[in-house]
Amino acid sequence: MSDIRLEGVSKRYGTVAAADNVDLNVTQGEFVTILGPSGSGKTTLLSLIAGLNKPTAGKIFIGGRDVTDAPAQQRNIGLVFQSYALFPHMTVLENVMFPLGVRKITGEAARTQSLEALKLVRLEGLHDRRPSQLSGGQQQRVALARAVVFKPDILLLDEPLGALDRKLREELQVELKQLQRTLGVTTLLVTHDQEEALSLSDRIMVLNHGQTQQVAAPTEAYLKPANRFVAEFLGIANFIGIDGGRTGLVRPERVKLSPAGMNGGTPAKVVEAIYLGQMVRYHLELDGGAAPMVAAVPFVGRAFTAGEKVSVSWDATDLWPVA
Amino acid sequence: MIGGSPWTRRLLATVGVLALVFLTVPIVIVIPMSFSSAKSLTFPPPGFSLRWYETLFGNPRWMEAMWTSTVVAVISSIVALVLGALAAYGLRRGSFKGRDWAEGNFMAPLIVPTIIAAIALYLGLAKIGLLGSFVGLVVAHTILNVPLVMMVMGVAIREFDQRIEQVAWSLGASWSYTVRKVMLPNLAPSVFAAWVFAFIGSFDEVIVTSFIAGKYETVPKKMFNELILEVNPTITAVATLLIVLTVLALAAVVMILGRAGKLKPTLV
Repeated sequence: MSDIRLEGVSKRYGTVAAADNVDLNVTQGEFVTILGPSGSGKTTLLSLIAGLNKPTAGKIFIGGRDVTDAPAQQRNIGLVFQSYALFPHMTVLENVMFPLGVRKITGEAARTQSLEALKLVRLEGLHDRRPSQLSGGQQQRVALARAVVFKPDILLLDEPLGALDRKLREELQVELKQLQRTLGVTTLLVTHDQEEALSLSDRIMVLNHGQTQQVAAPTEAYLKPANRFVAEFLGIANFIGIDGGRTGLVRPERVKLSPAGMNGGTPAKVVEAIYLGQMVRYHLELDGGAAPMVAAVPFVGRAFTAGEKVSVSWDATDLWPVA
Repeated sequence: MIGGSPWTRRLLATVGVLALVFLTVPIVIVIPMSFSSAKSLTFPPPGFSLRWYETLFGNPRWMEAMWTSTVVAVISSIVALVLGALAAYGLRRGSFKGRDWAEGNFMAPLIVPTIIAAIALYLGLAKIGLLGSFVGLVVAHTILNVPLVMMVMGVAIREFDQRIEQVAWSLGASWSYTVRKVMLPNLAPSVFAAWVFAFIGSFDEVIVTSFIAGKYETVPKKMFNELILEVNPTITAVATLLIVLTVLALAAVVMILGRAGKLKPTLV
């Protein structure tokens, strides 16, 4: 169990910087997500920490030890890929026992320890199956068990739930979070899915073009983004002109709607009303030609319908100035 | 191919069948001739006998050629397999300057006319004093067969998810441990295919061997020399044995690769 520290880490391919002077501190037991669009350099960053790639500049520390030049074998990390990357010729149990065998733990001890890890990921009774005989979710559980069975210092997850369907993904998100808390292992997850980042992490690092945009707790990153990119990447953003030529952000959940003419507010027309279960999302056209807005309002009783006139307002405290 | 008018399709089929006949007829004729009872090459054979096989197996010079061919093929195919597989690994997994140049260099023996390769090997081996030696023969056959191994192993390695290797490293396995315990078990069918191609490649080789083998006689080289001296039906017996060896080896490759689901049009 260790912390991770990146100091000015860069990785250049010719003139392109896949990682550009990145600093990051992941404290012992913390769950941090690197979030960014494809091509933002998030996977490069993970491969640098895993030791599969060498940075062109900067230093990487795991547990206070400088591992910048250490090969992957000497970093004691658990690594999980989106493609599961299970050993196809081994059974489930053999896959999980692999890191133990490398560490000269064999026989009954290895077996017991591996079965415990499989129990931890709630995959019991399938240990004689081959990976090809398992579903995607089951394969990912095996990959997780294999990554934690040897009590690694850190856990690195590269889009681990990306290949699974939505329902299974949400199920595994909860389990992943629980597993991480049970083990108390320092975890770094890479994803392009902002919902996953918001729901799993203690902190989020938003990356674009290899550069850190913001490192913050999910609520802070969502409500108080450091810039427009973060604001738009983490969810629907309403930008509103505020005095001094500056721009403010209001999230759809903070927008209030009332029937036209009530409570003051800005008059607007409902362009589209989308029913989402617990919420209704309204696309609004404000009078006076201002930019269209989106509001997400809990569904209670009656919803506004398309074409209806409404009054839009928000609290000044819900307005966050962005550059 | 699938499209086109019925006429072009019929034409294509005719040309295809004719080409196939053209290629297989000599093989089909050679086999019955080897079991002929006649004293000279005649077709159809007047009667059945095993006399040419008896002559073949009773002739110490043919037996010696077979032994030489076998030993050269075994050693050179194994060396080519190891070197070619390592080269394929480096070329497929590495990203270094001059990679394309290196690949072109390794593949060259397959691309340049064999006669050019033969002359180059003749001059090169002469320079280092290995011309006409057994070692020189093995070296030459190895160089000629490395491209075959690289082609087969290159496809296999490219199709093997690199992340599986990377996970093994992250779990603490060294590179050689990963190769032994993770790569080889999964790539075994391709390794076998590559070895068979290299073995046959060596066993069949005649041009380069004629240039550099000196006093050593391999089976194809002796066949060639025999044909110049006298036309003797023994040669049909040798040819039949070679055909059987090749067909069996290729059948084994198709079976093993097919079972592993690795049979790609590029390989056949």
